[in-house]
Amino acid sequence: MERSAQGLKLPEGMRDLFPKQLACLEKLEQQALQVCKNWSYQKVLTPGLEYKACIEPDPNKEDNLYKFFDKNGHVLVLRPEFTTPIARMVATRLKGQELPLRFCYSGDVYRNNSAHYAEFRQVGVESIGAGSELADAEVIALAVEILRSLEIRNFQLSLGHNAIFSGLAEEMAFDLKLRKELEDGIARKDMVKLESLVSQSTIPAEAKELLLAMPTLTGREEVLDKLQNWDHIIAIRRAIESLRTIYLYLKDFGVQDYVNLDLGILRGFSYYTGAIFEGYLPGIGIPVIEGGRYDTLYADFGLNLPATGFAINLGLLLEQINDFEVENSDILVYGQSPGAVIKRCRELRKAGRKVEMALGFMTDSDAKRIASSRGIANIEKVEGNREPSNRDFRF
Amino acid sequence: MAKNFLTIALPKGKLLIDSLDLLNKLGMDCLDIEEDSRRLVFDLPKDEARILICRPTDIPTYVEYGAADLGFVGKDTLVEQNRDVAELVDLKFGYCRFVVAMPEENLPPKLADGSYDLSVLNHKRAATKFPRVARLFFNDLGMQVTTIKLHGNVELAPAVGLAEMIVDIVSTGKTLRENRLLEVAPIFDSTTRLIANRVAYRVKYDRIQFMSEKLRELVKED
Repeated sequence: MERSAQGLKLPEGMRDLFPKQLACLEKLEQQALQVCKNWSYQKVLTPGLEYKACIEPDPNKEDNLYKFFDKNGHVLVLRPEFTTPIARMVATRLKGQELPLRFCYSGDVYRNNSAHYAEFRQVGVESIGAGSELADAEVIALAVEILRSLEIRNFQLSLGHNAIFSGLAEEMAFDLKLRKELEDGIARKDMVKLESLVSQSTIPAEAKELLLAMPTLTGREEVLDKLQNWDHIIAIRRAIESLRTIYLYLKDFGVQDYVNLDLGILRGFSYYTGAIFEGYLPGIGIPVIEGGRYDTLYADFGLNLPATGFAINLGLLLEQINDFEVENSDILVYGQSPGAVIKRCRELRKAGRKVEMALGFMTDSDAKRIASSRGIANIEKVEGNREPSNRDFRF
Repeated sequence: MAKNFLTIALPKGKLLIDSLDLLNKLGMDCLDIEEDSRRLVFDLPKDEARILICRPTDIPTYVEYGAADLGFVGKDTLVEQNRDVAELVDLKFGYCRFVVAMPEENLPPKLADGSYDLSVLNHKRAATKFPRVARLFFNDLGMQVTTIKLHGNVELAPAVGLAEMIVDIVSTGKTLRENRLLEVAPIFDSTTRLIANRVAYRVKYDRIQFMSEKLRELVKED
C-alpha cells in the first residue's frame, strides 16, 4: 500500500543511523564492552518491554515512559534504563548465586520527552552484592577506563554522595512536608527555592548552613575536610569516610586525576543511596555517564542486596564525533561472465577478503570510478566470456 | 575554546535592560549590546563570554541543551516549561504575579475569610499563556478546569465567552483593570532568575559560582 505523508515520517525523537554513524556507534560499543569483559563483567540482556509495575511502581509519579497495553490490559513500558530490569532479573531468576555478580549490558533505551534523542544506546555495568567502597571504586575506575579506551578527551567525572541530605533530614527530624519540599528543590537544582525554604523554616542553623553549602562543595580532598563540621551526624560522617576511602582507592586504580569530589551532584528522590557520580564532556549539556550506589532497589524486588553501577550514553558520545570512518570493502570484482565473477568472489571471501561484486558488466573505467568513490582499494577483472543463456548480464 | 568561556542567554524585551545593567555592574563590557540591532550574538572576548539575545520563553531550552551555560529568565517561564536546569539566584527584578482573574460582573461568591470560593469554577474554562501553571494550580485544589492555551491577549477570552476566567501574570494590574477583570486568587510571585546548564554548573563551577555570588550581592535588598 502506498505510504501516506505520515508513513514517510519518523516519530519525534527517533533517528535513522547511516553506515558511517552506525559503524562508529558499534565501534564505541564493542570497545566499551571489551573493557567491561576485561574487568570480569559478563554481558546480559533484558527485554525491551517490561511491566510498568516493575519499572515505575508509583502510579502518581510523572514519568517519561512509552506505555502500551498487553492483551490482558496490563501496562507495558519500553525500558528507559537497564538497572531496574536487571534488578528484577537477578531477584527473580538468579537468587543464591555466588556474590558479587558483575554484569554489563548494551542496548537502546527509550524516554519520551527526553531533551535529546528519545531512543539512545546505553552501555553500562551493575556490580551486585558488594557493599564495600572497593566495589564503588571499581565501577568508577571502570567508567574512567572505558572513556579513556574510547579516546575521549577532556572528560571529567564528579563524585558525590546521596546520603548527606537524607542523613541530615533524619537527624534533624524535618517534618514530612518540609522534607518533600527540600527534596524537590534539590532534585530540580532550584537553589532559590532551597534558600527560601531554609531561611523560612525552623531548622537548626548548622543544618541550614550545610544545605546551602552543598552545591558549593566541589574540588579535591579538601572538600571532605570542609564537611568535618557536620561529622557528629552519623550519616554524614559515614558519607565522608566512604568518599575518602573511595577516593583513595581511585588513586590506586590510577584514575584519581580524572575524578573531582562534588557534593553539588543532587539527585533528590531516586534509587541512589550512597556514592553517586556523573561524567561530563565540554559542550554536552547533559551528563554522558550517570551512576552510583543503590542499596535499597534490590530489596524492593524481595532480595536485599547492595549494588552499584553506571550507564554511559553512547548516543551523546556519538554526537561528539565528526570524523566517522567506515570499513570499506577491499576489492571490487567484475567481468563479463556472472558465473566466473561469482566463483572468484567466493574464493576471495573464503580467503577472508571483503569483496564487492559487480551486479552488471562494467567497463574498466566504470570499475575504477566506482571503486574510488567507495574507497575500495583494489579492483579485479575476471576473464571469461559472456554467457549465451539468460544468465548473461543484462544491459 | 577556553574551559571557562561562558555563553549567557539574555531575554529580549522588557527584562533585557535590567539584565545588561547587572552584567555591566559585574564588570562585563555590555555597552555595545542593544536590542534594536538585528544581531543576536555578541562576543565579549575580553570577558571570555558570549551573549545571546533570545526570546524569553526560549531561554530555558538554550540552557537545558547546553547551547548557553547561563540564562536570565522569569520564574513564570521556568515553572511553565519545567526544564532540567539549575536555578541559581533570584535576581529580584522583573517582578510579576500569577493570578486567576475574572470579569467584574461575574465573580464567584466570597467565603467567610474574604477569599473567593473557587469551587464554583469547577468544569469551567481558563484561558492562559501558561497552561502548565494553570493545571498545577487547579489540580492542587482538586479541581477540574479546562485550560485553553493562547499566545497573547488572554484578557480578551472572557469578554467574548471563550473562557470564564484567565490565568495570567500581572505586574501593575493595569491590563486587568482596563479589561474590567478582577483578581480572584493569587497563584505565585515571579521574578527573574539566573539559571545554569546542569553540566556547565559543575564543569565551569568556579566561574559560575563567582558570578552568582556577585549577582547575589548586587541584588541584595537594602
